[in-house]
Amino acid sequence: MKKATLLLTLITLLLSACSSAGTQQAGEEPQNIQTIRLPMGFRENIQFAPFYVAEEKGYFEEVGLNIDFDYSAENDNMALVGAGEREFAVVSGEQVLLARKQGLPVVYVLAWWQDYPVAVTALTASEINSPADLKGKRIGLPGLFGASYIGLRALLAAGGLKEEDVILDSIGYNQVEALAAGQEDAVVVYANNEPIQLAANGYPVTTIRVADYVELASNGLITNEKTIAENPDLVRRMTQAIIKGIADTIENPEEAYQISEKYVDGLSDLDKTIQMDILNASIDLWRAEVLGLSRPEAWENMHRVLVDMGSIPAELDVMQAYTNQFVSP
Amino acid sequence: MLRTSVNHRSPTKPASRLRKNWRGISLLAISLSVGLVIWETITHLFNIPPFILPAPEMVWNSFWLVAGNGTLLRHTLYTLLEVLAGLTLGVTLASVTGYFLAKFPTVEKLLSPYVVASQAIPIVAIAPLLIIWFGPGLVSKILICALIVFFPVLINTIVGLQSVPEDLHDLMRSLQATKRQTFWLLEVPASLPIFLGGLRVGATLAVIGAVVGEFVGADRGLGFLVNRARAEYDTALVFVAIFTLVVLALSMYGIVTLLERRLLAWRQRPEHEILIGS
Repeated sequence: MKKATLLLTLITLLLSACSSAGTQQAGEEPQNIQTIRLPMGFRENIQFAPFYVAEEKGYFEEVGLNIDFDYSAENDNMALVGAGEREFAVVSGEQVLLARKQGLPVVYVLAWWQDYPVAVTALTASEINSPADLKGKRIGLPGLFGASYIGLRALLAAGGLKEEDVILDSIGYNQVEALAAGQEDAVVVYANNEPIQLAANGYPVTTIRVADYVELASNGLITNEKTIAENPDLVRRMTQAIIKGIADTIENPEEAYQISEKYVDGLSDLDKTIQMDILNASIDLWRAEVLGLSRPEAWENMHRVLVDMGSIPAELDVMQAYTNQFVSP
Repeated sequence: MLRTSVNHRSPTKPASRLRKNWRGISLLAISLSVGLVIWETITHLFNIPPFILPAPEMVWNSFWLVAGNGTLLRHTLYTLLEVLAGLTLGVTLASVTGYFLAKFPTVEKLLSPYVVASQAIPIVAIAPLLIIWFGPGLVSKILICALIVFFPVLINTIVGLQSVPEDLHDLMRSLQATKRQTFWLLEVPASLPIFLGGLRVGATLAVIGAVVGEFVGADRGLGFLVNRARAEYDTALVFVAIFTLVVLALSMYGIVTLLERRLLAWRQRPEHEILIGS
C-alpha cells in the first residue's frame, strides 16, 4: 500500500512537472509574437509567393508577427477590416474607393502590384491587337462588377470605345473554356494567369494589358483608420516584412517557388513550367524602384474611371484612401 | 359506393372565414413590426456600421431608389422569367418521366441510377459547366432552374401515381374504362394532391435555381443585383434584392397553394357530392 502511494505521488509529480514545462514552452511564444489573420482574397496560389517567402524566411517573426493565411472572399475581408475585426487584408485598389464610398474606414498602405493585372486576351488568329480592335466584338468577363469589369472599362475608354460598342457576356470564371470553345471573341483575364494557361494548352493568344494604356491602383495591403491611429508600428512592421518577401521573390523566383510548394496545396502536382511562367509574369507586375510605394497618378486614374462609371461620387477624397507613410524609404 | 375523398373538412361560413383572415393578417403585421423595431434598435444600440447591418430605414430608402428608377423591376422580371420558364420545363419533364417510371418498373430500374445520381451532384458545381455548354444567356439559367425543380416533382409524381388504391383501378377496369379514361378520371385526380405538394417545393426551389445561375455568371436578375451590390459594399441594396427574392419565392408558393385549393376543391365539398357516380 505504501509502495503504491509512493508510486502514485511520483507519477503525479512527474506529470505536473511535464505539464508545467509544456505550459512554459507554449506560453513563451505568444508573449512576443502577435498572430495576424491575413485575408488574401483568393485561394492559395503561387501568386502569393512573397507572403510565403516572408513567412518561411522569418521576416514576419523578426518583427513579432505570426501570419495565419485566410483565403476567404475579397468583399468579406474588406468588411471585416472596415469593422475592425481584422487588422489587414490583401485587396484590389478599386475596392478601396468603392468601400470608402460606403463609409468603410479602410486605407491602402502597401502597393504590392505596381501594374494593374487585368487584360483582354483573344486568339491570335482573331487579329485583336489593340483596344480599338474590340469594337463590335463579343467579350466574356466574370461579371459586370469588380476588377475585371473596371479594367475593361478603362481599356475601352483608352481605345475610344464605350460599353455599347461591344457585346459583354457575364460568363463567371470560365474565360479559358469560353475562348477555347469559340463562344467569345475575347475574354477579360489576369495578364499573369489565363493567357499563360491558354498558350500552354495550344491556343496562341494576343493579350492587351490595361497597364499598358492606363495606370491604375492595383492589389495591395489595406488596414483601417483605427489601426493606423492606434498602432502605426504594427502597420510599419507588417509592410516592411511583406516588402522583404516581395524583394526576395523578385530576386530569386526559383527559391520562392520551392517555398510556395509548402504553402500551396497541390502546387507540386501542377505543371512547374506553367506555374513558374505565372510567377515570372506576376513578378513583372510587382517590380518598382521603391517596392510598396503607391503612385498618386494610379489612384487619380482609378478615381476618374470609377466616377465615369458612376460607381463613386467625384467628391470622394482619393487622398484619404491610401498612404505611403509606412513604405517610404 | 367508394369515396375518393381522404380529408373531409366542414365548410366554413364566409363571416368566420373573414374574421380568421383578418386575425391572420393582424398577427403577421404585428410580427413584422416587432421584427423591424428589434432590428432598428439593434443597429442603433450597438452602433453597427451600415455596411455590416444597415438600419431598416436605409434598406427602405435603397428600395425606393431602385424601385423608382426601374432597376428593381427590370432585374425582378428577368429572374421571374427564368423561374417560370425553368419551372415549366422542369415540371413537364419530371411529370412525364415520373409517369413512365411509375407505370413501367423496367424503365424505373433503368433510369433510377441516373435520377438518383443527378441529385447527388450539387447544382452549384454543375452550374458553371451549363454556362460553358449553353452560353451565359437565358438558356443556361432556365436549365439550372429546371434541374433543381425536376427531382421533387418527379418523386411526388411517382409517389402520387403509385398511391392510387388498387381497388379504384379494379373499379375502372370493371367499368371497362380505356387507359386514357383511367388516366384522366382516376390517376390524375387521385395523384394530384401529392403532385401539387412537389410543385409547391419545386416552385420555391426554382427561385434558388435562378439565383444560383445568376451568381455564376449573369448581367441581370436579382442574383446579379446581389452580386453587384456586394461588389460595391452596398449592403442595403443586398437586403433589398434578398427581400425581393423572398417575396418572389413566397408568391410562387402562394400561387401554387391557390392552384391547389382550386384544383382540389372537391376535397372540401360535402361527402355526398364527391362519391363516384354521384
